[in-house]
Amino acid sequence: MLLRARLTTQASIPTASMADIAFLLIIFFMVTITFEVDKTQVSLPKTQLRYEVPKKAAYVSIDQDGRLRVSSGEEMSALVPGVEDVLSFAAGVVASDPSKAFVIKADTETEYRHVDQVIDALKRAKVEVIYMLSVQETIDTVGG
Amino acid sequence: MKFSRSKVSDEIPTSSMADIAFLLIIYFMVTTTFTATRGLDFAPPKEDDNPPIIEKEDSVLIEIRSDGSLVVDQRPLPLGELIEYLKPKLERNPEKPVIIRPDPSAPYGAMVDVMDELRQGKEKGLKEEVRISLPTQREIDALWF
Repeated sequence: MLLRARLTTQASIPTASMADIAFLLIIFFMVTITFEVDKTQVSLPKTQLRYEVPKKAAYVSIDQDGRLRVSSGEEMSALVPGVEDVLSFAAGVVASDPSKAFVIKADTETEYRHVDQVIDALKRAKVEVIYMLSVQETIDTVGG
Repeated sequence: MKFSRSKVSDEIPTSSMADIAFLLIIYFMVTTTFTATRGLDFAPPKEDDNPPIIEKEDSVLIEIRSDGSLVVDQRPLPLGELIEYLKPKLERNPEKPVIIRPDPSAPYGAMVDVMDELRQGKEKGLKEEVRISLPTQREIDALWF
């Protein structure tokens, strides 16, 4: 009597494509990574409309107490004593790149006069476009 | 006499590649910070040698009080009714500028709320984009007073 040969299955997990998946993930992170040039802790205003800020945009941050920090988008932001320093900084940035976008990163509770002075300085420096950084307003926050 | 031939493997060792790749992934995951990189944009008006003289009466003036409430053309108005108020005025004259004038002690967020609402005017029933003007205190002092 002939007995059927017993089938033996090799117990192995196919890992050949794991490196491919891992490298795809690496490429994703490398493409999407943005290095934060300003780490000022602010509570941003909420808006329903939000437009993408251009990469390497210059930053002016205003915290709740009105302290100002500036960054050209290439290096970490630095504290500046007054709004006149923002004007000279912005004028220098615009002189090297007239189409450079500026981002105002201000705390939602900061007094408007601080923002007004910064906007005025940016206008005087002939900045072409200003972004006011915000976070997404959700249906919950709209409904209250 | 017996000769032993040494065998040299012609394979590239790739077993550690996945480990290296995962280490890199972990590095990127740890260092990536999901920051807010979006916001409302506005373009300040270009320098003009002969800027048009806009009378207060030819425009809609939105004042933001220090508590964040709105006064539109001398009348208190909730933010939710702003577009409805603007509709008939802008239908008659779509070029009518809407001036936002926050109180210096008003919260910045209140101005952004108004700007956000006006920028959505077309989606909320207005025929044209609202011509928003955000003069600074220095410009107001120089032009109006």
